[in-house]
Amino acid sequence: MRLLHIVNYNGNQPEFEIGKSIGKSKEYSEDLIKLRSITRYLDLKNKAPDKTFPESQILSEMDNLLNNVGADVIATYERITAIEAEVKSKQDTIRSLTPLAVLPLPLESYHGYDSLATFVGTVASPVDADVARVSPVNEIYTGSAKNATQVAVFVPAEKASEVSAVLSEHGFSETSVPKLEGNVDSAIASLEGSIKSLEAEKTPLLKKLADIKKQNEDLMLATDEYLSMQTQKTEAPLRFAVTENAFVIDGYVPSDQFSRLKSELEGAAGGKLEVSLIADKEAQELVEKGEDIPSQMDNPGVVKPYELITRLFAIPEYKEFDPSLLIFVFFPIMFGMILGDVGYGIMILLILLGLKKKFRTPGWQQLINVVMIGGVWAVIFGIFYGEIFGPLGLWNYAIGMLSHHEMVALQEAGLFFGEGVFGSLGRLGPLGVFPLYRLATNAVLLLIGVSLFIGVVHCSVGSICGIKTELNYGEKKHAYFERLPVMLFQVFFSIALLGLVMGQSILTYLGIIVVVISVVMLVMGPEGPMGLAHVPSYISNLISYLRLLAIGLASVGLAYAANQLAFYVIMPMLSGGAHNSAEFSTLAIIVGIVILVAVHFINLLLGILSPFMHPLRLHYVEMFTKFYSAHGGGVEYSPFGHVRRFLKA
Amino acid sequence: MAVVADAGTLYGLLAVGAGLATGLAGIGAGVGEQGIGAAVVGVVAEEPGFLGKGLFLMLLPETLIIFGLAVSLILMFAWTPFAGIVTP
Repeated sequence: MRLLHIVNYNGNQPEFEIGKSIGKSKEYSEDLIKLRSITRYLDLKNKAPDKTFPESQILSEMDNLLNNVGADVIATYERITAIEAEVKSKQDTIRSLTPLAVLPLPLESYHGYDSLATFVGTVASPVDADVARVSPVNEIYTGSAKNATQVAVFVPAEKASEVSAVLSEHGFSETSVPKLEGNVDSAIASLEGSIKSLEAEKTPLLKKLADIKKQNEDLMLATDEYLSMQTQKTEAPLRFAVTENAFVIDGYVPSDQFSRLKSELEGAAGGKLEVSLIADKEAQELVEKGEDIPSQMDNPGVVKPYELITRLFAIPEYKEFDPSLLIFVFFPIMFGMILGDVGYGIMILLILLGLKKKFRTPGWQQLINVVMIGGVWAVIFGIFYGEIFGPLGLWNYAIGMLSHHEMVALQEAGLFFGEGVFGSLGRLGPLGVFPLYRLATNAVLLLIGVSLFIGVVHCSVGSICGIKTELNYGEKKHAYFERLPVMLFQVFFSIALLGLVMGQSILTYLGIIVVVISVVMLVMGPEGPMGLAHVPSYISNLISYLRLLAIGLASVGLAYAANQLAFYVIMPMLSGGAHNSAEFSTLAIIVGIVILVAVHFINLLLGILSPFMHPLRLHYVEMFTKFYSAHGGGVEYSPFGHVRRFLKA
Repeated sequence: MAVVADAGTLYGLLAVGAGLATGLAGIGAGVGEQGIGAAVVGVVAEEPGFLGKGLFLMLLPETLIIFGLAVSLILMFAWTPFAGIVTP
């Protein structure tokens, strides 16, 4: 039914005990563990179901799956691990044998002496003379390997410690000699031969595992689902409070679903079950006590993906505001404003459409949807900015630019916002502003204003949510003397700035007056004079929105550099100083295109990452703190039950 | 001693100042983020649910570089005493 969010009974009331699991819960969980270990051996990952199974089929095939197939998998897997271990130890042996190949001794002569001490290893300088000095009776074999001298020194056992001291003066480092017989080369050859045959045994085993995985993938995942469901069901009483004859289940259910829950539960239990709501007053007390009341985010379909961003920060508490709708409004616009390029936007949409088919889990789908909506906005802003793969991009090259005298006229009028891709096709907007060339001075100044404007709106909306949240909790003082002044401060601070920029002193005075009033309100608020400490951060909150312009400028800059490099440096240079595109040589065009593709690809990757991260930060740091900080951190409503993915209902 | 400076030199110095403002702010933000980033990765390895809050902490020092950039923009474009010198 998936309606009731069960609250675990913590056993702190003497008259109730914690329930015991019912039925075959032990068998189910044992089977589940067995199955999980098999799937782990098979490296089986959860995936979107290809087909579904009825429960009866699972029941009939489970035994075979767990015991026969499972045993097969485990045996195969263990054999593979054993082979891998053996191969590794043989490789180690070969590695220690290789340096001995330079010595003219068979392997058995290194071992099995009672009265002789053996030293085998590498030395930095010849040892014969010094060894002969301490032990006149000796046998020394020397051979030079690639970058060291290999020695084997045989001396009488009683001289061992003295010889060892002499050897260490010569930088002796010991090589362990495997206990084998015969010639070194032939020993290595036989080891290599057996490694080869072990590898040959391993390949079909790996293939067998892959085959088993392919055949049983869906069935295994379905069985996993079935067993998890059964374990959950049979272990549910562990969360109930029971007495000898009765039991109590505590839980939460969405208000509008209560009558459904009541009728279905009472129907199923045949009148032996009583379902009742706790009294309103008691419920109110729970809220005030700060009980973890689960909250369910309820948003229309288009907003759903943005719940991901909310959830990443914190689940809103029962009485808190769910910001998903606000993220839905602001996030894509910010993404688009930063990226703002028709070419990149379309590329992102195409790439994500491909990825959408590949990553089918709900989390990925949500993330992809979030970025895709941002991509659409990037195309829209791209049209405003006149950018297709950067200014002076490909399209610009084809369509042309504003004529020179037009540009000069615009510059003289202080209205030069750069030449856009529309070129001779004309410009839009009240002042002929669009398309805007983002690297032009006027455009930067305009975008600073737009960024700050978005910031003020964004922060104000956050503050309004904060006021509403505090009122929900019945804390009027916090609402009107902590949240409201912040909003007044930020709005009127920017109005004062606007007055300065536009030369309207009346706006400036008005702004300053309200800013002072808001600071006074802050001091009167719950924090007292300590509230003043936050004032600089309210200004830095606003300045932070400049990143909407700044990150965008960085990506435009890179795109611009790529286009300049290809069209105005590399291509003319390689075609002997030609400046007309018609005169470019084939080589120049090929090299130019390679450079364009490489730089634009890097820029596109950055262009997905930073327009995503920075608006995210603007939401988390600048906006959420305005209403999440005091409370925050709720529990998500997760009703008892299981979603059937691989099982037929 | 007379200081001789033409408009071009002044504009050049302005550009150097703007570059330093953004660049040094960037270094500062990087130093700040270094410790936080390491700590956040550590926490997320233990507790994946902390990712959102970790990201939040991690991005806090990023504002520093925006301050630097704001100063640069003001120097380059908006400071009237120098705006007259800037020759397009």
